[in-house]
Amino acid sequence: MYSFFVNGCQVSTSKKQSLLRFLRDEMHLTSVKDGCSQGACGACTVLIDGETCKACVLQTDRLEGRSIITVDGLSKWESEVYTYAYGEAGAVQCGFCIPGMVMCTKGLLDRNPDPTEEEIKYALRNNYCRCTGYVKIIAAVKLAAKIMRAGKIPAAGADDWLLGSRVHRLDVEEKVLGYGKYPDDYYLDGMCYGTALRSKYPRARVLSIDTTAAKALPGVIDVFTAADIPGENKIGHLKHDQYTMIPVGGLTHYLGDAIALVAAEDMETAEKAKKLIKVEYEVLPAVHNIQEAAAEGAPLVFDEETTNVQAYKHVSRGNADEAISKAAHVISHHFETPWTEHAFLEPECAVAYIDDDGDVMIISTDQSAYCTLHESSLMLGTDKVKCQNALVGGGFGGKEDMTVQHLAALITYLTRRPVKVRLTRAESLLIHPKRHHFEMDFTMGCDEEGHIMGVKAKVASDTGAFASLGGPVLERACTHAAGPYAYENFEIEGRAYYTNNPPAGAFRGFGVTQTCFATETLLNMMADEIGITPWEIRYRNAIRPGGVLPNGQIVDESTGLVETLEAVKEEYEAALAAGKPVGIACAMKNAGVGVGIPDWGRVKLIVEEDAKLHIYSGASCIGQGLGTVLVQMTVTNTDLTRDDIVYERSNTWIAPDSGTTSGSRQTMITGEACRRACEKLMEAKGSDKSLKDLIGQEFYGDYLAKTDPLGADVPNPVSHVAYGYATQVCILNEKTGKIDRMIAAHDVGKAVNPLSCEGQIEGGVVMSIGYAVREKYPIDENCKPIEKYGSIGLFRAHEIPKIDAIVIDKPGLNVACGAIGIGEITSIPTAPAITDAYYRYDGSRRYVLPIDNTPYERKE
Amino acid sequence: MAVKKKFPYRSALVACNGGCHVQEGQSCENGCIGCGICVSVCPFQAIVINENGVAQVDEAKCVACGKCVRECPKQVIHIHECANYIVVRCSNRQNGKEARQVCSVSCIGCGICEKTCTAGAVKVTDNCAVIDEAVCLSCGMCVVKCPRHVLTDLRGIIC
Repeated sequence: MYSFFVNGCQVSTSKKQSLLRFLRDEMHLTSVKDGCSQGACGACTVLIDGETCKACVLQTDRLEGRSIITVDGLSKWESEVYTYAYGEAGAVQCGFCIPGMVMCTKGLLDRNPDPTEEEIKYALRNNYCRCTGYVKIIAAVKLAAKIMRAGKIPAAGADDWLLGSRVHRLDVEEKVLGYGKYPDDYYLDGMCYGTALRSKYPRARVLSIDTTAAKALPGVIDVFTAADIPGENKIGHLKHDQYTMIPVGGLTHYLGDAIALVAAEDMETAEKAKKLIKVEYEVLPAVHNIQEAAAEGAPLVFDEETTNVQAYKHVSRGNADEAISKAAHVISHHFETPWTEHAFLEPECAVAYIDDDGDVMIISTDQSAYCTLHESSLMLGTDKVKCQNALVGGGFGGKEDMTVQHLAALITYLTRRPVKVRLTRAESLLIHPKRHHFEMDFTMGCDEEGHIMGVKAKVASDTGAFASLGGPVLERACTHAAGPYAYENFEIEGRAYYTNNPPAGAFRGFGVTQTCFATETLLNMMADEIGITPWEIRYRNAIRPGGVLPNGQIVDESTGLVETLEAVKEEYEAALAAGKPVGIACAMKNAGVGVGIPDWGRVKLIVEEDAKLHIYSGASCIGQGLGTVLVQMTVTNTDLTRDDIVYERSNTWIAPDSGTTSGSRQTMITGEACRRACEKLMEAKGSDKSLKDLIGQEFYGDYLAKTDPLGADVPNPVSHVAYGYATQVCILNEKTGKIDRMIAAHDVGKAVNPLSCEGQIEGGVVMSIGYAVREKYPIDENCKPIEKYGSIGLFRAHEIPKIDAIVIDKPGLNVACGAIGIGEITSIPTAPAITDAYYRYDGSRRYVLPIDNTPYERKE
Repeated sequence: MAVKKKFPYRSALVACNGGCHVQEGQSCENGCIGCGICVSVCPFQAIVINENGVAQVDEAKCVACGKCVRECPKQVIHIHECANYIVVRCSNRQNGKEARQVCSVSCIGCGICEKTCTAGAVKVTDNCAVIDEAVCLSCGMCVVKCPRHVLTDLRGIIC
């Protein structure tokens, strides 16, 4: 028996297991999050005798007599202080890292009531956050310390909940105190555990599968193979080429392909059972990269295909060849960008059970509950499926595809038992689609004054083992490769190749992070050749209201690129004058999926029995703060107050489908649907009625963001209803060669919540600092990627530079009260700005990310 | 009293567990011999010879002046950052078999720490584990897994 204290209560256990498993599985203290179980992420940080420790590290047999504190053991005063401070500072986004961060805060403040910023950063530095870039968490700790010393909690900085107000997000308390539930926090009665046996080889023919021994293992409920799938084996958002399980006779596509699915009473048994499954393979040569995939006579990744080209895009306007041939200055270069891992803090998890209606209910963490519904229904061959979003611990594009949801649905459907399917961190790193590796050849021609005459490019991406969103990512990479500039001649050709690598799909920036690096770097080179500053060349070419983009679209009055350039001008020129190494880049990113795809926002407002207005929308909040946006939208467009309104998480049986959280679209598109629903509510309510009078009534609003398809036969197609614009500046320290400062000016239309908006900018910038200088996702000769979360090279709290997030509050369109939104663009211009700064620092131009020879590089 | 230190604090660290029991006449080629030179040269009285007969630094007193590092005849003292409380307490250079014979808590270069480390911060170099403090996430997984107790949590929590 091992005996110790948890939050002041004595507990004992005879089982030797990690403290994390004990706290979660035995005590159900689900505030202690399991982000990796590898000692890396810090989401399970607790205090042991006052010292911060990751609960996944220590075993119960080493804890005799020790005192453990989790956020559940905070005093009422501490809980209030941390909730206020994290809310006021805007430190909470997806929230998965937050209980761990709070424990680091307590560990620090208990011994140092007045820490310096450096001391705060050190206290947080062993914990990762992927959303916030740490800036606001550091501010929250500083604020918490101040309040602790003062002994009094001040009033919130803003509480009117109108558009433009820096209110505390509505999910702060549940995330700070850890009672908000992610799927892994559900422990249902009679719940079993599911896990998939993955392919041993990236490309092999499955000859036979023998599950007899596994099925016979005590504690195993059943073992399923492709033959047990009632509906379609192959699923996928757009192209149905993602196998739920590889059947006998089928070809494996990567190491993450599932061969069999085990359901057992506990995870240990399930893991043991996987080892008892016998699979015979005929090992075949794998396709490792774009060159191998494109080679003549290359092995085919898919039996069903005749080529490894998954997608082909050709975008052309004007005559790029002719324009370049006549240009005074021409520069060509080859560029490469790496695979990138999303590294969201919460690994994929789904819980499924049969509900009272006899339907398969899936509790999921994803970017669209409706996608989970559609794909699970397709696979089960029934529409008796429902999906409810739990909290989502970060997505960034990596939770758009099915990873665990359909597997949980299948086990429940076949066994009628509640089940949890959760990926280990190693599985997560292998399975969800990554950011595409791109290889790009660009040519740019300019006149004597630096005006862009034409751009021509050829790009190729490695989309890995199934399509995922490889086609649209390639398309966005191509359409946005032109940059936010006014010129007429542009041509780009792109191909996405299937390989036996892990799949690639959506990732914040959606292809634009890649091509923008090439275009912006060429523009910086061109400025040098012409003899003007990189700022000036952008100002001369910048798209302005009424101008025509290279895709033919005439941009509207909301276009704010010039404003973002002007916002950084003074600092940029001051840095130049001081002789500091300074780099700059611009970007544009669509809000909404655009290019003719029906893009609907839908919101239903229901006055329920509690006489409150409940907001229902089938739109996932993946940490960005959609619930807060919709509540602010509702308060602004009705005469209600915050207390009258309840935000409901996305589901598929009350909330109407409002599309995927993708393409930086929710603020504008679901926001406008919400505004329209508010109009209807106010028509019914008038000024004389109260919500009590409207109990039982529903108000529905929808909005179609209508666009023209690519290649539409109109002179000026509307490719996207709106764009966000940005300019980012990187200033290096001339002595250390490290990044001193990033200035990020973003045109977001009307900023719904400037505090959240800054948080998005800071998080996106830090994410792409990693992309620019350090993050790696190496894949070996067996198509096997990195397995460890701590080795990706994510930035840590003490490594971040000063970040100035500038929100340009320029009114947008006549939808969603002028809000355009943010999200992806925050990560797009960062890498070329940093790369340019390093060129100014050491004279070396870099064309491959992550860039080499910086103080951030990790030598093997 | 020590002069005021600048954050992040640094301190000397004696990379030896004292498992070979110098005082009993045994000795390892690479470890601390308990000669006490560091104790006598330290301007801040931050070093003592502990119960295992080897030097031990009081990080609260040490200012990382480096005097002991320079004077140590066995070169078992180095400067590290105090915030990195997971440390290697061994300076072994001999092969695993020899290291096992002379000391019960020596690094034998088995590499379990290297395989365990999520951050890729631990590498076995010349038969001894070395932590890259710039990369280490201070989780202590290596401490839990090390069969020889070479890796240590200076706070005394993880074991």
